[in-house]
Amino acid sequence: MAFSRRPALPPINQASCDDHVPNYKDLEHLRKFLTAHGQILSRKRTGYCAQCQKSLKQGIKRARHLGLLPFVG
Amino acid sequence: MTALYESMFLLDNAVVRESWNAAKAAVTDVLEKHGAKVTTIRRWEERKLAYPIRNKLRGTYALCYYEMGNENIAAMRREFDLSERVLRYLILRTDEVPATELELHAAEQAADFVVPPPPPDDMVEPDPVPAGLDDDDGSSEVLVPDLDDEGDVDDDDRPRGKKSESRDSEDE
Repeated sequence: MAFSRRPALPPINQASCDDHVPNYKDLEHLRKFLTAHGQILSRKRTGYCAQCQKSLKQGIKRARHLGLLPFVG
Repeated sequence: MTALYESMFLLDNAVVRESWNAAKAAVTDVLEKHGAKVTTIRRWEERKLAYPIRNKLRGTYALCYYEMGNENIAAMRREFDLSERVLRYLILRTDEVPATELELHAAEQAADFVVPPPPPDDMVEPDPVPAGLDDDDGSSEVLVPDLDDEGDVDDDDRPRGKKSESRDSEDE
């Protein structure tokens, strides 16, 4: 086949949902779930369940609004 | 119906530099005006912003817990939107005040608590923007001769002045 699927990137954060999902004030934790350009990592890479990923997303977006994390960069 | 709220405010360092109490009052006055009962308010952090907000590169964050009725939230938001001392705010419902917050609030109320003054360089430096504009001007100056050169190649007999007029009208 000419177009083979690129192998999936390994999860860089095997976050467990039992752990504390970082809120908007835990900047060091939130940064681990961002790429170098400030994009939020996918669930595939964070290892979170849907619900925890949602609260992670919420936390990152709140931090962005306050100028704590970049939108881009 | 009253509820417990958690809020983070991003305060202008210019106000904080004058007095931390004045900066805190900028928040608490508005909260109390709208019927909030402030439980704790403390300086969270002074830090560099991830991106410039109202041309400022640094700001001071205040973390606040208070009880208030939900019917006044919209009016309060509007007031913070208009405030020049509060750059950003976040209002969240919460269930309880963390014990550490109460301790830190009490520590800040103590007489010997000193708020470290913010560093002086919190404004965006004006140099990069004029430099960028100069670059733009330079490129537009370069652009016009380029177009003329193309015109010369395409049709030599066309008067140059007339062509530039027509280009101006297109731009308008």
